[in-house]
Amino acid sequence: MLSLSEELQEKVFPKNVIEFGPFAVNDSVISGFIVVAALLLAALILRLTVIRRWKTTPTGGQMFLEWLVSFFDKSADEMTEKYSGLMGPYTLGAAAYICCGVLIELFGLRPAIADVCACLALALCSFLFIHTLGFVKNKYRRLLHYVNPINIITDLAVPVSMTFRLFGSILSGMVIMDLIYIVVGKIWYLGIPVVIPAVLTPIFTLFHALIQSYVFASLSLTFVSEAIETPPRKEKRRKRKADPSPVQSAQ
Amino acid sequence: MEFLITMMVNLLVDMGPAIGAGIAALTGLGAGVGMGIATGKAVEATARQPEAVGKIRTMLLLGLAFAETTAIYGLLISILLIFM
Repeated sequence: MLSLSEELQEKVFPKNVIEFGPFAVNDSVISGFIVVAALLLAALILRLTVIRRWKTTPTGGQMFLEWLVSFFDKSADEMTEKYSGLMGPYTLGAAAYICCGVLIELFGLRPAIADVCACLALALCSFLFIHTLGFVKNKYRRLLHYVNPINIITDLAVPVSMTFRLFGSILSGMVIMDLIYIVVGKIWYLGIPVVIPAVLTPIFTLFHALIQSYVFASLSLTFVSEAIETPPRKEKRRKRKADPSPVQSAQ
Repeated sequence: MEFLITMMVNLLVDMGPAIGAGIAALTGLGAGVGMGIATGKAVEATARQPEAVGKIRTMLLLGLAFAETTAIYGLLISILLIFM
């Protein structure tokens, strides 16, 4: 019989399912594919059925969909004024992928996000958005930001910290649930193996999924809004020389 | 004396990862204190100005995520130490 830690060790790291040459596909990737397919299918079905029969007096499902979309659109609008058309859908997509990628654990598959590479991919997407939008908005003036070389490290630390935040919290939730399954599986007493995980799953899986997807979306929005700020120095000086009195209008 | 030293070295070699994992889990201390302070301040702010509850909640969640990150780093390091 395996000891507890050996049993857990088998579950912590992803297993390679398919291997040919340099390509190795592990079970996280497969559940990732399943999640993407399910999301696309759901989007298609919703587009063809619910959205065609949009009503002026909304039903519950329509209210929920409208709330979901307008929630992300509104927060994108607040943070990244001009680019909200780009950032709103992106954050909604990333949040949906993270949320469903974690919730697939409820079907007994390995969560898609419990792999460093999946988190790194998402974080790199955000990283690309941050810097592309920053350079598009401020052009060469954005380079002034790097006059202080510590900013390079700050910028490079963003995707790393996003990766490990996501990965760590999802992995910790998964490890705790696996531990509970292992411990509870040895108690045969009166349906306890069924009841206890059912009570604890919402705490460690559902809660993590919702919180982490929200945090990822709002963090990428925050960083983008930080990147597209116009550097104020030169404009301030020029304005002060031109007319020193209206300080309030400058701000 | 020599026996003692070899014993200590053997103990460290055997138990090193476990001790390291235990020390790494201490990151939870700082994160716990930080999250507690943040939540307390959010409650105070809500009590003072109940109409701002939406904004406060957003900021609180972001701050909690940042505070939680340190604890998660510690957890990752201890998991890596135990299982690798």
